[in-house]
Amino acid sequence: MHRLRQFFFRLGALFSKRKFEAVLAAEIRQHLEMMAEANRAEGMAPGEAQAAALRQFGGVEQIKEAYRDERTLVWLEQLARDFRIAVRSLLKAPGFTAATVVILALGIGANAALFSWIRVLRFDPLPGAADPARLVAVENFADAGNGAGEALTTSYLDFRDYRDHLKLLDLAAIGRGALAVGDERASERVWCELVSGNFFDVLGVVPAAGRFFGPEERTDAQNAHPVAVISRAFWQARYQASPAAIGSTLRVNRVPFTIIGVAPAGFCGTQPGLAYQVWVPLTMYGEVTHTGTWMLDDRNTRNFTMLARLKPGVTIDQAGGEAAALAGFMARRNVEDRGVGAAVVPLWRWHFGPQQIMLKPMTILMAASIVLLLIVCANVANLQLARATARQKEFSIRLALGAGRRRLARQLLVESFVLALAGAALGLVIAAWLGGTLPWLLPAVATPALVQPPLAGGVFGFTMLLAAAVAAAAGLAPALHAARANLNEVLKAGGRSGAAGAPSHRLRGVFVVAEVALAVVALVGAAMFLKSFQESRALAPGFAPEGQVLAQFNLSTAGYTRQQADSFCQRMTEMLGQQPGVTGASYADSPPLGFHGGNWEDLQVEGYQPAPGENMKTYRNLIGPGYFEVMKISRVEGRDFDLRDGAGAPDVMIVSEEFVRRFIPQGGVIGRKVHGWGRWFTIVGVVKDIKIHHVAEGALPFFYIPMRQEYRPEYGLTFHVRTSGPAAETIAAVRRAAAAIDPALNLFDAQPMTEYIAGSLFGQKLAASMLSLLASVGLALAAMGLYSVMAYSVAQRTAEIGIRMALGAKPADVLTLVLRQGLGLAVAGVIIGSVIAGLLARIAAALFTTLHPADPVVYVGTALVTVVVAVLSVAVPAWRALRVNPLVALRNE
Amino acid sequence: MPAEKSDLLQGTLDMLILKALQLEPMHGFGLSVRLRQMSKGVFQVEMGSIYPALCRLEARGWVKAEWGVSDNHRQARYYALTPAGRKQLQEETAQWALLSQTINLMLKTT
Repeated sequence: MHRLRQFFFRLGALFSKRKFEAVLAAEIRQHLEMMAEANRAEGMAPGEAQAAALRQFGGVEQIKEAYRDERTLVWLEQLARDFRIAVRSLLKAPGFTAATVVILALGIGANAALFSWIRVLRFDPLPGAADPARLVAVENFADAGNGAGEALTTSYLDFRDYRDHLKLLDLAAIGRGALAVGDERASERVWCELVSGNFFDVLGVVPAAGRFFGPEERTDAQNAHPVAVISRAFWQARYQASPAAIGSTLRVNRVPFTIIGVAPAGFCGTQPGLAYQVWVPLTMYGEVTHTGTWMLDDRNTRNFTMLARLKPGVTIDQAGGEAAALAGFMARRNVEDRGVGAAVVPLWRWHFGPQQIMLKPMTILMAASIVLLLIVCANVANLQLARATARQKEFSIRLALGAGRRRLARQLLVESFVLALAGAALGLVIAAWLGGTLPWLLPAVATPALVQPPLAGGVFGFTMLLAAAVAAAAGLAPALHAARANLNEVLKAGGRSGAAGAPSHRLRGVFVVAEVALAVVALVGAAMFLKSFQESRALAPGFAPEGQVLAQFNLSTAGYTRQQADSFCQRMTEMLGQQPGVTGASYADSPPLGFHGGNWEDLQVEGYQPAPGENMKTYRNLIGPGYFEVMKISRVEGRDFDLRDGAGAPDVMIVSEEFVRRFIPQGGVIGRKVHGWGRWFTIVGVVKDIKIHHVAEGALPFFYIPMRQEYRPEYGLTFHVRTSGPAAETIAAVRRAAAAIDPALNLFDAQPMTEYIAGSLFGQKLAASMLSLLASVGLALAAMGLYSVMAYSVAQRTAEIGIRMALGAKPADVLTLVLRQGLGLAVAGVIIGSVIAGLLARIAAALFTTLHPADPVVYVGTALVTVVVAVLSVAVPAWRALRVNPLVALRNE
Repeated sequence: MPAEKSDLLQGTLDMLILKALQLEPMHGFGLSVRLRQMSKGVFQVEMGSIYPALCRLEARGWVKAEWGVSDNHRQARYYALTPAGRKQLQEETAQWALLSQTINLMLKTT
């Protein structure tokens, strides 16, 4: 046990250094005096006695040092000393230090920011939920006959059946929407979730104040319990976290609710990355949307998604099997469930979470970021190596004076670590800033606010690890190099800078080749994504979004009836038509290519026999007259809706080409009858296909119904206005017109349509823009690396060049010499980089189907760009080499 | 007999210092004198070995250091054996006896 004691004894020396040094000094002084006295007693003269005592004692400093070796934690002291020396020597080279720290910060910061996002989306999707690994999503899907298909939302009745009969899961249902929340005087649009009674239990969330839904509030009785739970942020912002908020009244879509509790801080709902503020019981749906009770009683009304917690010991596969079996049973029993299957998926694969849009691009970005980090490492290693080479003389002298090689290498590693630490600190600042700017990159679409991922402990740990790895990678080469220096050779080689030998120069060359290769990889990746993004933009959506303005209203919050809605739409269309610059106006209930899924209806087409289990639910749009003209969708056959097609008139329908191809291949489309919503419609026209959910989708059957014949208040209302004037003016005009007709109406979003559909391209757009940023930074760094190597080598060879020129070499020869070297490195890097990029592109193409991994334009273009940059970065040192005055060069020997 | 500087292993020196301190506490100078005396002049241990050794012993808790007054009314740092130190001395003496016995035996065999 005395080892432990010894350790603490030595540790104590850290804190009592001055004291023990004083004691030691005093003790030795006394010792010497005693020895001198003894000498005097033997007859020596006083002066001689003292000198003799000193001789007999031995070297005082050496003895003190030997004592210190026993007294202190030597390695700790050495580390502290290395640290101090490192900081001092770094401060003496401010240019190098600043450049290196910034470079490191870029690489580490970008990685930390992306990692914090990936952490939120993949590992901690529901902050505040207990044991998130046991949470899963239960999804319905449209069975295309093979057990898989497009994901669907669920109806309330279906949810009840699942909830009551699934034994392996605790199931909760969630509906979402923006509701007008406030009091009598004012209301704001707040994103809310309507949830089943057991929602908070399934998630394992405990209230921060008040309570959550009680047993009476969990029954299936509709519109019976107007209670609400608010988020911590909402409580803080609106009520300043006062306890009086609990029990007070909150109006949701003008319906009074009682606040019963507050969710804990950090919990913002079940859509990872998005912030919800209010939770009310799902059974209040009818009341909130002013639609009565029919929606929850209609098995066809699918507005909800389902979240569940696996019961202890149950695996996802087991739960999936049970859900699939139950779905099969329900499909046989209920007409509305025909063709609908069920699957259980982990949260990060949930089709109704933003992860689907964000996770893929995030992963690609992470890969790109790592490439950037590698470039950064190579660059820093290069810089370090150059600096170490310049200090070669210093190292050799120190080695000659007795410093251990390992000690020297360790000091260089510590220096590298100090740089990495500084880079990590700055990198965290950059990461925080990046995290804040990510929401700006999101298109201005009507979605809840993005939650900024916290720089949680995991991210700090990750950053530290990264910094250490970078330090090791970047510092190892110089450290090893310095330690292995052959003293004699180095001192002989002399030169004003302690010349570098061939090995170090080769090593730097290797680093440059690596940098260039990595830069090529980054560039190729960015170029590919940009191309695929351009292509998908060019993929004609089938309609003309340019020149259109969308204005979204919420009629249900104003409690409109069908007649009121009808008259509003007519008056708006008239007023808008009179606005200057407006060439057409119409309305619909859901614009295509938005962030939200579409609406659909189960259909029966006269003369078409669906295959067993085939899904006949078809997407549709409720539109006003003149819609196709405003959207510039071409008509193939028949006519458009007009004012004749109102309530009470015969029900009519317009279908898309794919609809015809799928269900009426034999012809005779106009006049054919289609059954939906409990009644028969007559087809009066056919239009061309458009893209509904995303631009890269395959053709989907689609149909249109006049809104005037099928109006439900909770359907949104979007006005499409085609205008030749600026969008802002048109939006202002729409607002004025709406206010003129009904000041209480909630116009909650107006934007140019191009912005609206930008959301469907969001994932790739984000990836493309960030990738190009990363690639440019990577290329810049590689160029810096190349430049530094060339500049240094030219400086090294100044004498040689001077002699050559003195002996009659032409400037062109010198130029060729320098350029050849630089280009050689660059070309090697380009070749290696292209090969690696090709391999990686194959992998990426599996994730992003629109990528073309073997696109020659991209590779050739990247190679050209890199070589040009290389030539430029070699040109400056080359030019400087030319201007070397031979006399000066020779004299500098 | 000429005073030779013989090499003493670290562990052995520690043990001998403990032995030297067995009778009474001593300061550094006194200790060096005593060691020379005990070895009849064979071991002239350098201060460069004694001070670190004393530090080691103090670290392990076998010796305690205190300021005291010497014979000539000087301030000096005195090192004294602790009970743990006495025990350690006993153990090490026994070990050394065994060790030297064995080595002597091995050297005697032809």
